[in-house]
Amino acid sequence: MRHTPALIMMPVAAFVCQVQAADYLSTAEAQAVLFPQASTFSRQEVVLTKEQLKAIKKASGVRQRKTMPPIWRAEREGEFLGWFYVDDVIGKHEFITYAAAISPEGEVRGIEIMSYRETHGDEVRNQQWRDQFVGKKADAPFKLNEDIINISGATLSCRNITDGVKRLLVLQEMVLKE
Amino acid sequence: MITRRMKPLLGTYVEIAINAENEEQEQLLSTAFEAIEKIHRLLSFQARESELSQLNLAAGIALTMDPLSIRCLRLAFAMMKASRQYFNCTIAGSLVRRGVLPDHGFGNYLEAGNVDDIVISGKRVHLARPVLLVLDGIAKGYAVDHAIKILMAAGIRSGWVNAGGDIRAFGELRVPILLRQGGGAPVYAGDLQNAAVATSSARSELDARYQGLLVNTEGRPIDEGQWTVVARSAWRADALTKVAATAPRDEAEQLVARLGGTLVSKTSGIQAANGESAQIENLNQSQNGC
Repeated sequence: MRHTPALIMMPVAAFVCQVQAADYLSTAEAQAVLFPQASTFSRQEVVLTKEQLKAIKKASGVRQRKTMPPIWRAEREGEFLGWFYVDDVIGKHEFITYAAAISPEGEVRGIEIMSYRETHGDEVRNQQWRDQFVGKKADAPFKLNEDIINISGATLSCRNITDGVKRLLVLQEMVLKE
Repeated sequence: MITRRMKPLLGTYVEIAINAENEEQEQLLSTAFEAIEKIHRLLSFQARESELSQLNLAAGIALTMDPLSIRCLRLAFAMMKASRQYFNCTIAGSLVRRGVLPDHGFGNYLEAGNVDDIVISGKRVHLARPVLLVLDGIAKGYAVDHAIKILMAAGIRSGWVNAGGDIRAFGELRVPILLRQGGGAPVYAGDLQNAAVATSSARSELDARYQGLLVNTEGRPIDEGQWTVVARSAWRADALTKVAATAPRDEAEQLVARLGGTLVSKTSGIQAANGESAQIENLNQSQNGC
């Protein structure tokens, strides 16, 4: 049987702008996804000097905001696998938090969005949306307060992430090279 | 339980959500993302090493291409024909000349071509004239459909894939959709169920945060505007936004409907997209579509 495609019209509620975040992965979850074989993640203390911040900007073309970037060293029983970074870039209006795995040789192994934030209207949390869970058991498909952000519009470029990763590669080359 | 993941892919943000109590859901999500990455690698105009770039650089010589590339080209070809070329994927030359797309050393090329320039024979493709193909108007939607095909084949009953605003929902879920008009805050437009939605915008100035430029079938930029289309599959919704953007304003709505979509207008908002299924199934059968 084929379903009939439908986009169902809903009454539009009062419009209130707010920032909403979709949280995909915690730091620990992102670590496990990007370095599934790692047994330990040890925090690497890095304090960037003003000169280093400037040099990173110069080499990558992007400003490094944090002087103490969160970086972890991923290891499997003493074997160095690579660096795990948590970083922020600005999306349309809000910060997007992502994790990047970069090999000791400076090769990007993977990128995962950890938290995606958008400014939009409040009506998405409307009653009809919630109604589909009424009567559902504990194993209902959605958590009631789970934030869903599906926006169709001019395609948002992920260039900010690409630039962010470029900046991390420069940072690694500059301060973490062994 | 819905599991969602997001990655920067296809030049934008891609979210995959599945409704599953499955131990292997992480692996399944990775497989779906890899499938999207593969389509990106095959069909990216930006990347010189992609199959699409190799075809554009082949100077009319036939290339054997990946079945995924062939299928997307077939869909593009069929949509060009059916839309009287209001959808046209041979206009990349005009975008290269304007500096919107990179020149990989194409030499002499035409700014725009027509459907007869694409010759597909089994797994081999060649270009009859020196046109440049770009599949950006369809490949994002195609990637969404392909990912959903993989998820459904793995037994996932419902979920959605959102590739930078090309969104398709499958199964019983009703997924709320917001529309962003211009630079404003997105507005709730309705719920998507077993259908896809896509939006394309034409802007008077290029914006670093958004990509691309919409040109008409002759390769000239079109007037500023925004077009949202609902259809059964994402590739179709994606392609039909270009038909809506390039067709004469008084014909656009009807043409989109004839091709299996529903154009969402500012005044009507989003209406139920019933009644389009017959058209869609016809096209699907003739094109081996999604």
